[in-house]
Amino acid sequence: MTKTKHTPVRSAGPAHVTKMDRRAFLATGSAALGAATIGMPRRARAQGRTEISFASASFFGSETFGDLVDSFNESQDRVMVRYLELPPPSSSTEVYQGLVQQLARGNGTPDVFSQDVIWIAGMAAAGWALPLDEFVDDAMTSQYFEGTLAACKWDGKLTALPWFMDTGMMYYRTDLVEKHGGAVPTTWAEMAKMGKAAQEAGDAEFGFVWQGKQAEVLVCDAVEAIASNNGAILSEDGRSSRIGEAEAVEAIQFLHDTINELQISPSDVLSWDEEPSRQVFTNGQSMFLRNWSYVWPIAQDPSVSEVVGKVGAGPLPHFEGGSSASTLGGYQLGMNANTADRDAAWEFMSWMSAPEQQKRVALNFGLGPSRPALFDDAQLNEEQPFMATLRPVFTGATARPVTPEYAKVTLALQSGISKALVNGQVEAEMQALSSQLDGIVG
Amino acid sequence: MALSETTTSAAAPARRRARLPRFAWPWLLLLPTFLAIGAVAFWPILEGLRLSLTNTSLITRQSDYVGLENYAGLLSDSNFWNAWGHTVWFTVASTFLETVIGLIMALVLCEHFRFRGLVRAAMLVPWAMPTVVTSKMFGWLFDGQNGVVNWILMNIGLLDDKVNWYGNPDTALTTLIIADVWKTTPFMALLLMTGLQTIPKSLTEAARMDGAGAWMIFWTIRLPLLMPTLLIAGLFRALDAFRVFDLVYVLTGGGPADSTETLSTLAYKSLFSTLEFGYGSTVSTAMFITEAALATILVLWLVHVIRRTT
Repeated sequence: MTKTKHTPVRSAGPAHVTKMDRRAFLATGSAALGAATIGMPRRARAQGRTEISFASASFFGSETFGDLVDSFNESQDRVMVRYLELPPPSSSTEVYQGLVQQLARGNGTPDVFSQDVIWIAGMAAAGWALPLDEFVDDAMTSQYFEGTLAACKWDGKLTALPWFMDTGMMYYRTDLVEKHGGAVPTTWAEMAKMGKAAQEAGDAEFGFVWQGKQAEVLVCDAVEAIASNNGAILSEDGRSSRIGEAEAVEAIQFLHDTINELQISPSDVLSWDEEPSRQVFTNGQSMFLRNWSYVWPIAQDPSVSEVVGKVGAGPLPHFEGGSSASTLGGYQLGMNANTADRDAAWEFMSWMSAPEQQKRVALNFGLGPSRPALFDDAQLNEEQPFMATLRPVFTGATARPVTPEYAKVTLALQSGISKALVNGQVEAEMQALSSQLDGIVG
Repeated sequence: MALSETTTSAAAPARRRARLPRFAWPWLLLLPTFLAIGAVAFWPILEGLRLSLTNTSLITRQSDYVGLENYAGLLSDSNFWNAWGHTVWFTVASTFLETVIGLIMALVLCEHFRFRGLVRAAMLVPWAMPTVVTSKMFGWLFDGQNGVVNWILMNIGLLDDKVNWYGNPDTALTTLIIADVWKTTPFMALLLMTGLQTIPKSLTEAARMDGAGAWMIFWTIRLPLLMPTLLIAGLFRALDAFRVFDLVYVLTGGGPADSTETLSTLAYKSLFSTLEFGYGSTVSTAMFITEAALATILVLWLVHVIRRTT
C-alpha cells in the first residue's frame, strides 16, 4: 500500500534529504522543536547513514528518551536518528500542538513520533500516520495487550505501534479491607458498602475518592464506570453516541450517588483532579482511591505518605454483570505518512517497541510495558514489584472514544458529565450530551 | 573662496529640501514605529479577522472562506453566551471591587504615618506575584477539605459545614473574583495614589479653613478631581480583567458544569485543544469587539468628565 507520494526533493538521496530537511525545519519550525534541534549535540557520526527524526514528549526517569535514541544509533550503522524533544506529558496540549504543526507541513519531519492514545485516530484520519499493516503480522501483534492494540487502530488498520501504557486503577487500604470484610471488593456496590462501613466506624473520613474536575481526567473516570457496566460513550465505528443509553446513565448516576446518596465521597471530588485526591488518600483520609500508577511510589514514601505498607492496588470494581475496565493512557509510536524512508523509520520504531527496550523503559522510567510477556520477567518483578500488580489491570485496559474528533468530544463530555454530577439531572444531561456528541461525530 | 563656500553651503540644504519635502520628515522618522506596531498589533488583529471568516482547522486540514457562518454559529452557541456572561460579570464585579477597595487603600496611604514607605512597598507584593502562584495559593486557601478559609469561617461560627468553594457552581466564580481582587487591588491603589498626589494641597487646605469636614472634602474636592485618574485606572483594569485566563485555567479549568468558563478559556480550548483556528478566531474576535465596546464607553465617559473638570 503506497498511497503516499514521495516529494522529488525527499527522494533525491539521503545526504540531500538531510540538508533540505533541516533548512525547511529551521525556516518554519515551531519554537519548541526548533530549540530542541539546535540544541542537540550530534553524538554519533551520520556519514552514509539514513537520517531520520523522532519527536516525543520528554519523560524523565533515571535516563531520558535521548539516551534511548543514542543507544539505537550505536546499536547499528544504517540509520541515524535525531531526537526532537517536545514538552513533558504534563503539557500535553503543547505537545499535541507541536506535533500537529510539524505533521501538517507534510515534509516528512518527524519521521517517527510518539503520541498519546487519544490522538491516534485524529492523526490517522488526517492522513499523517501511516498504516503499519505492511510491516506487521498476527504473530507480532498478538504479543501486545488487546486493549492497547485496539486503541492503536483506526478504521480497521493499525496506525500506531504499542509502546508504553498507563491505566486507571483502584488503590485500597489493606488494613481497612482486612477489618471490614477481608476480600477486596470487585463490584461498585461492594466497594460502596465497605467504604461506608469504614467511614461509619471512623476508620476513614471518606470511603472512595475520585476525580470529578471538569478536565480530561473526568472523562477517564467516566469511561471506567460506563465500560464496567457494559456501556460505551461512542458506538464501535465511532460515528454515533451511546452515552444516552441506560448502561451509561446508570454509571454516571453511580458517580453522582457516591457524593449524594451513598455519601462515600466528599463533594470536593467535583473540583479535584489527580493530585488533590491522591493527597487525601496518602494522608490516610480515604479507604479507596481511583488513580493512575504514579501514586504507588508516593504511597510507599514515608516522607509524604501516612499509609506506607498499608496500600494495595488492583483492577477497579465493576457493575453486576460487567467486568472491570480501566482507562488506557500512555504514548504509542507512529510513522509519518510522508517519511522518505519507511524502512528506516520502521527499523527504529520496532526497536523501540521491542521487549528489551520496553523493559528498559519500565525499569528506568517506571512506565508500564504494552507486552504482557514482560510481566513475567524476573528482573522487572524484582526491581519494580508494583509492575506485577499492573498485569490484571492492563488486561482490562479500555480505550477512550476512538474518533478523529476526540478533542471536541472530550470537551463536550467534560462539560456534560460535570453538569450531570453537579445538578443531579443525570438522565436529562446525558440525553442532551448524547445529541451533542451525535452532532460532533455523526 | 569665501563666496564659493557660501554658495555650496546654501545650495546643499536647498537640494536636500528639494529631494525630501519638510512634511515627509516626521513620517519618515515615525515609519519604524508604525511598522513595529503594525507587525505586532494590527497584523495579528487583521489575521484573526481573516481566520474568523474561514473554517481553518489543523485537524480537518480545511481552510476555506465561509463568510459569516462562524459568527452565525457563535450567536447560537450556548457555550459562548455562557462564557460571555461569566466574563462580563467577572469584569464588572472585580473592577468595581478593586476600584472601591483600591481607593480606600490609596486614601489611607496618602496620610502621614510611621513606616508609610514600608507599608506602601508591602502593599504591592500581591500584584508582583505571578498569577499562577496566586492561583495555586488560593487553591489551597479555599480548599474544601483542608483550606484555611473554611477553617477560619467555621471557627468563628459563620459556617456550619465545610464549603466546597471550587466544586460548587454557585461559589466557584465568586472565589475566582476574590482571588483577582486580592491580586490586583494594589495596582488600582497605586494608580489612584499617584492621582491623589496631584491634587493641590492648597485646595483641601482652603476647604478646611472654610469649615469643610474630611467627608465633604472627599466628595466635593478630592473625588471630582480624581475622577479622570479613576476612570483611566478602571479602564485599564476592566480591559485586563476581561482577558482573565490564568486564574481560571489553573484553578477550575472552566468547571464545574461550565460555571467558570470565560471567553479566554473558551477561545483557548477551540484554538489549541481542538485546533479549530477558524472558530477559535471567531471567539477571539467577538472578545475583541466586546472589549472595544467596553473601552469606547469608558473613554467617552472619561472625555466627558475631563471636559467638565477643565
